[in-house]
Amino acid sequence: MSNILKREAVFAVTGIVTVLMFVEYFFFPQDWIVASTIRNWAVIIYNISLGLGGVRLIMQHTMGTQRRRENWQFSVLFLVAFVIMLFTGLAGYLGTGVATSNGIYNWLFNNVYTPLGSTTYAITGFYIFSAAYRAFRARNVDAALMLIAGCFVILSNAPVGEVIWSGIPAIGEWFRFVGQVPGMRVFGVVGGLGTIAYGFRALLGKERGFYAGGAEE
Amino acid sequence: MSGQNIFDKLQNIDRRVFYWVLFITLMVPFIMPIGLPVKVVKNTRDLYEGVTGDNINPGDIAIMNFGYGVSAWSECAPGFTVCAKALLREGARIVFMGAHYDVELSYNKLRSEAAEDFATKQYGVDYVFLGYFAGGESAIAQLATDSWTVYPEDHYRTPVSEIPLMQDFHGWQDVAVVLSSDTGDVGSYFLRQWQGAHGTKLAEIGIAMNGSTDYPYYLAGNYFGLSIGSRGGAELEVLIGEPGEATTAMDSINASHILIVLAVILANVGYLVQRRQA
Repeated sequence: MSNILKREAVFAVTGIVTVLMFVEYFFFPQDWIVASTIRNWAVIIYNISLGLGGVRLIMQHTMGTQRRRENWQFSVLFLVAFVIMLFTGLAGYLGTGVATSNGIYNWLFNNVYTPLGSTTYAITGFYIFSAAYRAFRARNVDAALMLIAGCFVILSNAPVGEVIWSGIPAIGEWFRFVGQVPGMRVFGVVGGLGTIAYGFRALLGKERGFYAGGAEE
Repeated sequence: MSGQNIFDKLQNIDRRVFYWVLFITLMVPFIMPIGLPVKVVKNTRDLYEGVTGDNINPGDIAIMNFGYGVSAWSECAPGFTVCAKALLREGARIVFMGAHYDVELSYNKLRSEAAEDFATKQYGVDYVFLGYFAGGESAIAQLATDSWTVYPEDHYRTPVSEIPLMQDFHGWQDVAVVLSSDTGDVGSYFLRQWQGAHGTKLAEIGIAMNGSTDYPYYLAGNYFGLSIGSRGGAELEVLIGEPGEATTAMDSINASHILIVLAVILANVGYLVQRRQA
């Protein structure tokens, strides 16, 4: 029974949904109640998966704390933060319908989460600076060409590039539109074809990983 | 160590030195603003013109999707704010929503940045905030065909059936323009499920890193306009004539970009001399 659920049921559901979505796209461009209902289910399942993810996280970190796994202190921190945000958010939600109406929740969001988020993102700039110094070396002609192109693109992205030399924005734009866009188009087209091929293989049961894990046939 | 010459030392600078140099370089423009002029590029101008003038009519419905979190405020928020201001000034009605869980914070920031424009508008009539939606591309596809099933109520738990603006918004056919601002893929979901499927006008206000991904779609006409990173935000601030966060950030962008180029040149001078000596 479990094998049927693992493979045949998933195979059947995937196949039916795929066919229905194809039918809607090509024959019912305005709206089709069958496809619309399935999309609604997809949204509901997605929401359930968010809750499931939360439960799984709690289980994972609770076990990690109980068994004193490596860095278990961070698990404690996570659980404390989770409980505080959950209950303060719920208090606000049950009171007014909006989680941020709770003062503590709002304060934590604005004064802890927001600065931490911005800081995390900004730190990458420091890593990039350090990495650029260490890694961007003209070890051969190809690397040298990439370096030169990179410098033009970087300077063309900043207003100072035009101040240094009026030709920099034009050269940077050339690298972007003529040098890079065709490459990205190739990636896009190849990626699209690959997705179609993967979809067909999955529908034909050739992608074992899609169904129950393991290598493909 | 004492036997090292200057070029050897250049190859082995402690990374903490870089962090401090960059930190100080970024601080200087905040203390002494430089204020170099910002040139507006075509993709940004197309975006601005697409939401102003003859391209948008009073009463048109625009969707503005917050696909970015607080970490990307510096790159996405300024451009998104300018577009919201421009649409409100044109008399368009805006439906705010978000595929990122930070949507409420980003919406509150936008409200405070464009407070004067919102002051003359009425919630539920001129604009509405639907809040976060889960479901990724499926939800965006469903928004196109039956938006009320994705959002049965707004962020403040008012049923959409009681919101005047929502009476005119049921799906893609009711929407004049979609603006998506993202750090990830949400713009491409709108591209596939709205622009590609129904021809809806779509523009992207993305982070600089996504620029390379977005250019082909802009050049192909899928995006009618494109704002890229803080630079795009600064250009939009120039176009609307109200310098803001992005314009201020341009000084730091100038300083940091020059510093990176200088560092790369310096590192390569050291590397080439060292290689010749070897």
